[in-house]
Amino acid sequence: MTEIELATPRVLTAGRRSPRGRSASSRGQWRIHVLLIVAATLMVVPFVWQILTAFKTSNEVASLPPTLFPATPTLVGFDTFFASVPFWAQFAVSATSLVLRVAGQVLVAALAGYAFARLRFPGRKVIFALFLLMLMVPSQLFVLGQFDIMKELGLLNTVPALAIPGIFSAFGTFLMRQAFITMPKEYEEAAQLDGAGTLRVFWRVMLPMARPMLAALAVLTSLYSWNDLLWPLIVSPAGDNRPLTVGLASMQGQFGTDYPALMAGALICTLPLVIVFIVLQRQFFAGIASSGLKG
Amino acid sequence: MIAPALVGLAALYLWPFLSTFVKSFMKVPVFGAGTFTGVDNYTKLLSDEDFWRALGNSARYTLLVLLGIPIAIVLAALIEQAAKGRTLYRVLFFLPVVTLPVAVGMVWRFILNGDFGILNYLLSLVGIPGEYWVADDRFTIYAFAVVGIWMGLGVNLIILGAGLQSIPVELYEASAVDGAGRIRQFFSITLPLLSPSIFFVTVLTIISALQMFDLVFVMLGSVNNTAIDGSKTIVYLFYEAAFVQFKQGYGAAIAIVLLVIIMIATAIQFRLQRRWVNYD
Amino acid sequence: MHKRLLNTAAVVAAAVLLTACSSGNTGGDSNEKVAITYGVWAGTQTPAMKEIAAAFTKEHPNITVKVEERPWPEYWSTLQTGAAGGTAPDAFWMLAQNIRPYASGGQLLNISDEIKKEKVDLSKYPKAVLDLYDQGDGKTYGLPKDVDTNAVWFNKAIFDKAGVAYPAADWTWDDFRQTAKKLTDPAAGVWGVAAPIDYQGGYYNTIFQAGGQVISADGKTAEIDSPEAQKGIEFWTNLHADKSSPTLKQLSDTEAETMFEQGKVAMYMSGAYWALKLYENKAIAGNVDVAPLPIGEKRATVTSGIVNVGYAGTKHPDAVKKFLLFASGKEAAEIQARSGAVLPAYEGGEKTWMAAMPEFKNLQVFIDAKEYSVPLPVQGNAAEWQGDQTKYLTAAWEGTTSVADATKQYADAIDKVLAEK
Repeated sequence: MTEIELATPRVLTAGRRSPRGRSASSRGQWRIHVLLIVAATLMVVPFVWQILTAFKTSNEVASLPPTLFPATPTLVGFDTFFASVPFWAQFAVSATSLVLRVAGQVLVAALAGYAFARLRFPGRKVIFALFLLMLMVPSQLFVLGQFDIMKELGLLNTVPALAIPGIFSAFGTFLMRQAFITMPKEYEEAAQLDGAGTLRVFWRVMLPMARPMLAALAVLTSLYSWNDLLWPLIVSPAGDNRPLTVGLASMQGQFGTDYPALMAGALICTLPLVIVFIVLQRQFFAGIASSGLKG
Repeated sequence: MIAPALVGLAALYLWPFLSTFVKSFMKVPVFGAGTFTGVDNYTKLLSDEDFWRALGNSARYTLLVLLGIPIAIVLAALIEQAAKGRTLYRVLFFLPVVTLPVAVGMVWRFILNGDFGILNYLLSLVGIPGEYWVADDRFTIYAFAVVGIWMGLGVNLIILGAGLQSIPVELYEASAVDGAGRIRQFFSITLPLLSPSIFFVTVLTIISALQMFDLVFVMLGSVNNTAIDGSKTIVYLFYEAAFVQFKQGYGAAIAIVLLVIIMIATAIQFRLQRRWVNYD
Repeated sequence: MHKRLLNTAAVVAAAVLLTACSSGNTGGDSNEKVAITYGVWAGTQTPAMKEIAAAFTKEHPNITVKVEERPWPEYWSTLQTGAAGGTAPDAFWMLAQNIRPYASGGQLLNISDEIKKEKVDLSKYPKAVLDLYDQGDGKTYGLPKDVDTNAVWFNKAIFDKAGVAYPAADWTWDDFRQTAKKLTDPAAGVWGVAAPIDYQGGYYNTIFQAGGQVISADGKTAEIDSPEAQKGIEFWTNLHADKSSPTLKQLSDTEAETMFEQGKVAMYMSGAYWALKLYENKAIAGNVDVAPLPIGEKRATVTSGIVNVGYAGTKHPDAVKKFLLFASGKEAAEIQARSGAVLPAYEGGEKTWMAAMPEFKNLQVFIDAKEYSVPLPVQGNAAEWQGDQTKYLTAAWEGTTSVADATKQYADAIDKVLAEK
C-alpha cells in the first residue's frame, strides 16, 4: 500500500512539458522518427483495415487474394448496421448513463478522496486498505450482488441502473486522494482562519484546485462507461435501454460473418469516443498518467 | 464526506463480495435458495481439469502480455527524445485504448481469420504458411496476447512517459560530460530512475491480465468454435459457470480462487520490488 | 375453428372496451391498457414477430406487445438473470434443451387452463415437438410456433461444374459420401460438404438413421457410445478422413452456413430455418436447392421447434396467456409462413411458407421429413451436456482419437450430467 503511494506521485507529472535538453540531437532525430513511424503504423493498421473493409461488399471480403481498396466502395455495410441497431436510441442510452456516472463519480470520489487525504477519523487506515483491495477484485465478481441490489431498488432495465455501480469507485477515490494529498495545506489553513467550515473549504478552495485531476477522472470514467459490456448485458436486456456496446455485440450474433457490416458498426460506435479523445487528449493522458489503471 | 462513497462501496462492492464468498460454500440452484455444501465447490474445482487449463492459459497470457512492457519502455523513451510530433505519436498509440473492446475483438477476429484474413495473406507473400490463429487452441493465447499488448500499449506508454519526464535533465547532462553514450545513459540513468513507474505498470498489467475475459468472449465466443475449450481464461470460466451454466456456487469459488491468486501475485511483486525498484 | 375463436375473443374484448365494463369474464381486466414484452433472439424472424404483435393488438386493442430482441450468445444468460430478477420478458421463446430449469423452478406460466378454455386443438401441432416440452408435471407451458426438420441444402452450380448428378430422393449414405468426394476440388477451394460438430443439424440425424440413439429410452444414461450411434458419428468423421469437408478449424473461423453462402461448400446438412436467409442472398439464391437426408439403416431426422412461453412473474398473466395462444395460433402461423422466416408449427401453414419462396421448388422435403422425424434428445440438463460436445468429439472429428474412445468419454460425461439432481 505504501509502495503504491510512493509510486503514484512520481507519475503525477504528466502534461508538464519535457525539457528540451533531453531531445536527441537533430542528427539522431531521423532514426527515432523512422522507428516511431514503423511502430505507429503497426498500431494503426488494424484501424485502416477496418475502415477499408467497411466500404467493401461481403463477397469482396471473402474473396482471395484480398483486395486492399474496395473495388467499388459501397455503403451497404453501414446500411445493414443502421437497419439492425437502433443507433440513436442506444447512443442516447450510452450518453445519458455516461453523464450520470461521470457526474456522480467525480462528486463522490472527490468527497471521499478529500476525507482520506485530510481528515482524521477512526478506522481510516483500515477503510482505505479495503478500498485498495477492491481494486484487485475482478469486476465480474461483484456483478451478481450488484444485480440483486438493483433488483431490490426496482431499477432493473433502467438507465440509472447502468450508471449507479460505476458511481462508487474505489479507483476514483484513490485517485482523488492522491490529488489532494499533494496539495499544499496553506490554502486550507488560510480559509479556515477566515472561519470557513470543512465542507466550505472543500467546495470553495480545494475542489477548484483539483480541477485538472477531476477532469482526468471524468475522461477516464467516460472511457470505462462507454466501453462497458458485461454489466449492461445483465442489467438491461431490453432493446430500448441498452447502450451501444450491447447493440454492437448483438450484431455480431446476428451477422456473424458479414464483416463489412460489423466493421462499419464497430467504426460508428467507436467514433464518438475517439472524437472526444482527440479533443480532450491532454485530460486523457493526465488521467492515465496519474492512475494507470486500465478499468 | 466519506459517507456517500462508503455506503455505495459497502452496498455495491463489499456486500456482493461477501455474498460471493458465502455462495462459494453453497450449491445454488438456478432458481430458489441454495444449500451449504462446505468446501465441495473448492474440492471439485481442484480436480476439474478445465480449471487447471484455464489457470494455465491465464498464466501464459499474463506472461506474454508482460512482454509489452519492454516495448512500451523503448517506445516511451523514443517519444521523449523526439523533437517534434510527440503528441501525434501518443495519440496514435493511444487509439486502441479508446476503442470499444467489442470492436477490437471483431476487427482482430477478421484480421486473424485463417482463410481470408489479411495476416495470413501477408505471410503467404513472404512464403510463410498461415495458421488458424483464432480457431486452433495452440495459437489462440498468442493471438490474445498480441491484441492485449496492442490494446495496453497506449496506457503503459503514457505512464512510463510521465515517469521519464520526472527524471532530472541534469543527470543526463552530467553523465554526458563524463562521456557516457545514449545507450549507457539508458541503462545507468533511465532504467533505474524509471523503475518505480515500471513496477507500477507491471503490477497493473498483471492484475488486468489475470482478469482478461472480453477478448475470449468476442474473439471466440459467438460461433461454435472448437478452440474455445482449450482457450478459456480463468475469468471466462467464472463467467461461464455463473452466467451460462448457472452454477453460481461453483462460479463464486472460481472467483475467490482468482482473487487469492491476484493477491499472492501482487504480494510477491511487492516483495521482489525491493531488489530492483529505486525510489530515490 | 381457431379463427372463429379469435374473432369471438376480439368481439368480446372490443365490447368490453366499449362498455368499459370491468367485470368482464374474458379473463381479467380486459379494459385496462396493458403493455407486454416478447423476448426473441435477433434474426431474420424479427419482422414477422413484430407483425404478429401488431396483428394481436388489432384483435386486442387494449394489449400492446413489444418485441425485444436479444443477441443469441447472451439470450440465455440474460434470460436467466432476468427471470431471477423479475425482469424477464412477459412472453419469450424457449427451446426444449433449456426449458427444464425454468419449468422446475416455477418460472413459467402454466397455460393448460387457457388451452382448455379456448378449446385449442392440440392435434394441429406436431406431436413430436409437443412431447419435447412435456415436463411430466401435467402442465403445459407453451405451444410451438415453428417446427424444424433437416435436409441437405446444396449448390447446383458446383454440382453442374463437377458434372455430378443432383441428389436423388432415395440416396444413401454411400451416395452422399461419394458425391461429397467427387465435388471436392482443393485447387478451386471447393469442398463437397461442410461437416461441423453440429448436433441438431448434423450427427444426431445420422445416429438415428443408423438405428442408434443419443440417450437411453428411460433418459438415465447416454447411448452415444453404442455401436449404432458410433456408426452415425463415423458418417461425419469419414467425410473428414476423405478431406471432403473444410477442417474444423476452418469451420470455426467461418461457420458452415457462411461457407455454403460463399459458394465454398457444395452441400450443407441443416434445418429449414436457413431457407429465408439463403433465399435473400441474391448472389447464391439461384443456385440453391434442397434434397432429403440420405438414408442409412433407415430414414430419420431430428425435429424440434421454438415454443412461446410466458414468465410466471409477469404482471399481466391473462394478457400474456392470450398472446401466447395467438402467437402460436393459426393467424400467427400464416404471418410467419408468408414472411418465409420459418416453417410454422400450426398445421396448414406449410403451403404458404413454400409459396413465400417460389424459386425454391423442393422445400416440400422439409415437410415430408416430419413423417420420419424423431424428437431432439433433451433429457436432463441438455444445454449443459450438449454444450460439452466439442470438448469430447473434436478429437474424433480431427481423426486423432477413435470414435469409440471419444464417444465413450463423452457418454461418461453425459451420464454425470444426467445423474445430477
